[in-house]
Amino acid sequence: MEVVRLRVNGDERVCGVPAHYTLLETLRYGLGLTGSKQGCDKGDCGACTVIVDGRAILSCITPVWEAEGREVRTVEGLANGTETHPVQDEFDLNGAAQCGFCTPGILCSSVALLDGNQSPTREEIRKALAGNLCRCTGYEKIYDAVEAAAARLGP
Amino acid sequence: MLRLPPFRYHRPGTVEEAISLLARFGEDALPIAGGTDLMPNMKHRLFTPAHVVSLNGIAAMRGIGAVNGPPPASGNGRVSRAADRHLRIGALETLADVSRHPLVRHHLTGLADAAGLVAGPQLRNMGTIGGNVCLDTRCTYYNQTEFWRDALGYCLKKDGTVCHVTRVGRKCVAAHSADTPPNLIALDAMLTLAGPDGTREITAADFFVTDGIWNTRRARDEILTEIRIPIVERRRSAYRKLRQRHSIDFPLLSVAVVADFADDETVAGLAGVVSALGARPRVLAGWGEMAAGERLSGDLIEALAGRAWSQCRPLDNIIVDPEWRRAMVPVYVRRALGEVAGGGGLREGAGE
Amino acid sequence: MNRRNGPRAPRDGLNTIGRPMRKVDGLAKATGRARYTDDIRLPGMLHGKILRSPHPHARIVAIDTSRAEALAGVHAVVTGRDMPTAYGIIPWTPDEYPLCVDKVRYIGDGVAAVAAVDEDTAIAALDLIDVTYEELPAYLDPHEAIATEAGPYIHEPRKPGWNGNVTKVVKLEFGDVDGGLEDADIVVENDYFFEGTTHTPIEPHCAIGLAEGNGKLTVWSATQVPHYLHRELARVLDVDPAKVRVIQPPVGGAFGGKSEPFDLEFCVAKLSMMTGRPVKILYTREEVFYAHRGRHPFHMRYRTGATREGMLTSVDAEIVLDGGAYASFGLVTTYYSGQLLTAPYQMPAYRFHSTRAYTNKPACGPKRGHGSVQPRFAIEVQLDRIAECLSIDPIELRRRNFIGSHTRTVNDLRVTSNGFLECLEEVERASGWKRKYRRLPYGRGVGVAGSTYITGTNYPIYPNEMPQSGVQLQVDRSGRVAVFSGASEIGQGVDSMVAYVVAEELGVPLEHIRVLAGDTDFTPVDLGAYSSRVTFMLGNACIEASRKLKAKVQEAVAEAWEAKPREVLLAGGWAVRAGDTGTSMPLREAFNLAETKFGTLGATGSYNTPKDVHGSYRGATIGASPAYSFTAHVAEVEVDPETGFVTVDKIWIAHDCGRALNPVLVAGQMEGSAYMGFAEAIMEEQIFKSANQGREGLHNAPSLLDYRIPTSLDTPALESLIVESIDPEGPYGAKEAGEGPLHPSIPAIANAIYDAVGVRMDALPFSPPRVWRALQAPDGGRWAPGRAKEVVGVGGSQ
Repeated sequence: MEVVRLRVNGDERVCGVPAHYTLLETLRYGLGLTGSKQGCDKGDCGACTVIVDGRAILSCITPVWEAEGREVRTVEGLANGTETHPVQDEFDLNGAAQCGFCTPGILCSSVALLDGNQSPTREEIRKALAGNLCRCTGYEKIYDAVEAAAARLGP
Repeated sequence: MLRLPPFRYHRPGTVEEAISLLARFGEDALPIAGGTDLMPNMKHRLFTPAHVVSLNGIAAMRGIGAVNGPPPASGNGRVSRAADRHLRIGALETLADVSRHPLVRHHLTGLADAAGLVAGPQLRNMGTIGGNVCLDTRCTYYNQTEFWRDALGYCLKKDGTVCHVTRVGRKCVAAHSADTPPNLIALDAMLTLAGPDGTREITAADFFVTDGIWNTRRARDEILTEIRIPIVERRRSAYRKLRQRHSIDFPLLSVAVVADFADDETVAGLAGVVSALGARPRVLAGWGEMAAGERLSGDLIEALAGRAWSQCRPLDNIIVDPEWRRAMVPVYVRRALGEVAGGGGLREGAGE
Repeated sequence: MNRRNGPRAPRDGLNTIGRPMRKVDGLAKATGRARYTDDIRLPGMLHGKILRSPHPHARIVAIDTSRAEALAGVHAVVTGRDMPTAYGIIPWTPDEYPLCVDKVRYIGDGVAAVAAVDEDTAIAALDLIDVTYEELPAYLDPHEAIATEAGPYIHEPRKPGWNGNVTKVVKLEFGDVDGGLEDADIVVENDYFFEGTTHTPIEPHCAIGLAEGNGKLTVWSATQVPHYLHRELARVLDVDPAKVRVIQPPVGGAFGGKSEPFDLEFCVAKLSMMTGRPVKILYTREEVFYAHRGRHPFHMRYRTGATREGMLTSVDAEIVLDGGAYASFGLVTTYYSGQLLTAPYQMPAYRFHSTRAYTNKPACGPKRGHGSVQPRFAIEVQLDRIAECLSIDPIELRRRNFIGSHTRTVNDLRVTSNGFLECLEEVERASGWKRKYRRLPYGRGVGVAGSTYITGTNYPIYPNEMPQSGVQLQVDRSGRVAVFSGASEIGQGVDSMVAYVVAEELGVPLEHIRVLAGDTDFTPVDLGAYSSRVTFMLGNACIEASRKLKAKVQEAVAEAWEAKPREVLLAGGWAVRAGDTGTSMPLREAFNLAETKFGTLGATGSYNTPKDVHGSYRGATIGASPAYSFTAHVAEVEVDPETGFVTVDKIWIAHDCGRALNPVLVAGQMEGSAYMGFAEAIMEEQIFKSANQGREGLHNAPSLLDYRIPTSLDTPALESLIVESIDPEGPYGAKEAGEGPLHPSIPAIANAIYDAVGVRMDALPFSPPRVWRALQAPDGGRWAPGRAKEVVGVGGSQ
């Protein structure tokens, strides 16, 4: 066990983990932040996507040590206090989450997109989500939700 | 969940510290940058280093910028014109940053496209250009779990004695599968390697060898620190990537072309590199001679494509119909050449 | 929101039903709070791992677990001998064990399991288990498996002299098939091949076992059949079923891939019984590919006869199913391969002869559209060929053969509502079919296909006459209604569906309804989330329970108002007197009045199928359903003739779901289905290495990198066109939407490829190398009406 210090969703967290833990294992099994999911084991599906320093990354192939000193944001940290992020609300409204297992990763990719581009085209949304596999929806409702969220966030 | 094997993690702040760690632990250590290649390979027990040396804290290995003067050593002369400027890219720059950087996009269209076509968006935010250049070769019999490889009986590249692709050969034919190197080769890029004895420069073309087990001239205690690419006026480049999905996949075939044009749009120099075939990207032979002084017409493109086809023979190292992959060589060469003939420029969706 | 819909049925005074609404679990899923099985961590929990066979077919000579048991941190090791009771989801074909007892039958078959303090220790312990195998010849090809005359068979023959490599043979004939073919003006005959594919839910299977000292056993599992799992755990582990509890947390996708018991569920239970501690097993992605139970590879030959007018005269099918190592649902699959194809087209005569073979590969089973997706592909391409030969528009050809509503099929299945003609009309209109068909430039094309699917099966998997679905309501004094539902939420929205029904019937606001589901300790039995059964069956059960409760509330309120019970309306959170809006009370008060009058308020409801919906021949019950959904698709594709790449630009999906209880969720099912069909059409294949590819029977690529499922950039635009035929027996007229709309994607794409470049793709998937090869063939690449080599005879005299 070694001690890792992480800044996750605004909280400073200290956690004892084996040195070979990934960021995903630390979040899920060390810190109890089980929102981020494990789907493929090795960076092929995007279910483990979290935001580090503003960028969407794959936490299942990130050694936990690489997250030290950086700002980690997970699905649990997308809401602003009691107010859900518009993209979360629109996922609910549009039926964009069916089984919901890819959803946390897709939300993180979407928020990383919207933080840098407040009015993405549908094509830009498709490209931003091209590393997140969804097996339920056929993606249409997800695009609808991200577009609707962008409209709410937009200028 | 597939677990990583145990290791200790080291985070040096300088190239020198990193090299001394690698030297100290020898075979027990591997460097890591984005980790997008090494982490899955470690989960598959293809590598089980006791020490992992992170390069991510080394500020000197970052940055993208134009530098006056030619790259530190001359290239191999396939491309005609001398450069009085070059672009320096720190090896730790992410593929996402390389693909979006205005200077890269403006001067090195093919490279920008290639970096933007690696895997998926998150992986490009993590993976570095240095890591892409040093990407381990890939093969259907190699990039599998320990259980799977055990059931197979292992292979020549790792833990076994047989190559299941050639079935007779004693040489590993795992495929070079990185997107940026074919472009770097065609662009006459210089790579800087730092090792225990200081730094050395090597052309991208010379960097790769035909041994699928370790297909570069980088020694295990060396680190690729930066890449320098000549900036040449009236040069246009393009990259085409064959893959079945429009994202995530490694190339089934890749084609990079770089052409220098004279003021009258005749070809002053032409280089083409095809990869995802064997362990080393293939520099197409005879292209410069065929094209020199000619306009890049449809007929010439057709002839160049035919020449490429005769030099490329895909293997069963990737589990997609090798005959089809071979038939795609002239198609993709033609499309890449068509792009530079037509003025180049960064387009959407260069990959199929 | 939901701007793309077809014509909708009249609302019939419904308040909640038919409107776009949030899901009851939508917010939990959008905030990361939904707790899936692997998100659960119990105190003192051990981690398990399963040792798997590296051989495709071998006898287990000996297993020595002593070294593993001696490893520090290992708490228990279990092998097949510890659980020697055979099971199988179909009671007539029990042919597998929680862990292999004497033989392994595919690479990946489970042999032993370990529980240890953590995953790393469990993995290390697997390496210390010594198994001695005696390898046997393996069968990878179903034809070879069937043809073999002597053993060693994959399974012991069930009777002496039988072939132990055959799971099931079904041969059924309706009408005069040979006569129909003889009388036909045109007969087309072709071979088709449907490659195997797998479900690939993003959540890998996971289970936790907890045996308590008092004999109680609880298993949490990502299953879509908690009831069947409950039964099999009790039977196989010899535990009193009344002491077994199965909890099904939210499931991260299933698609049929979690619809029977798996090794990990038995192993966590057994290991917990041995250690007294909770034990969790989470599959790796690789193990999900080995667990499989996905789409069977089908080798099919179809002969289809028609008149000059395009009316079908006879259909004759010969099918070999490649079943993999175990029966799974294979008995049903073998029937479904023929039984489910007799609508939406009239078939005067029909015969099918289907044989399911065992092979030394992971077992095939039910994947979304179980059994009929493969033959539907063949039938719809056959129709396209007939249309081509007769120069009839393929939509028109399908219209002419429409079977109608409220009728019986040639194999005696009762069809009730049928909106297939409206489906055809919708896709024809929305796609601009008439402007496009045979009129687009070379390389672009459109194709059409239709289909039908069951809305639940008429009979449960094990014979019994109890209800197929049950629900229980309980009302709190606060006005909150709890719904105890045994159904499995796997993302399809069943928990939301029951809330909508209760809201509609009782007038309770959605936010006052709690759905408590997926726990066999406190919910009535529902058979599970398979065969598109839950909306129809649980929906009806829910209506029944709600109406019982409503009657009590109406009676109590009527008494207070000195009115007639039917004058008491419940809506919008209020009880209101009909025709007198001034007389009203909040529902909470109405509920309190009812509780005062009747005691604690609750009600149950259940649903069982009608039994007069099928014929009386052997096998007639399989394929029988209380209602059938209907679908039509038009796909528009672009084919790059140089590379063979097929880009599916768009699929128009028209689906008769009976009634859309929530159109957003229905459209989601339609789009998800069409996506999954598209994926099978273009890229997916669950395939295995041959002996000259290193290792016979080794999965080609058990990862999400190499088993390619479509990304956002690959998936076509999908337009949902909801058709509402209002089924007489469905809840508010609803049927199903989760599986039917998958079927036509594949043949519609195949037919569109033909329209684009003139090649017939008769083998899946239509991957670039395959399409490229088809285009390279001497006759590949241009339309040639009349060329059709498949016309084996044009008879008839006029």
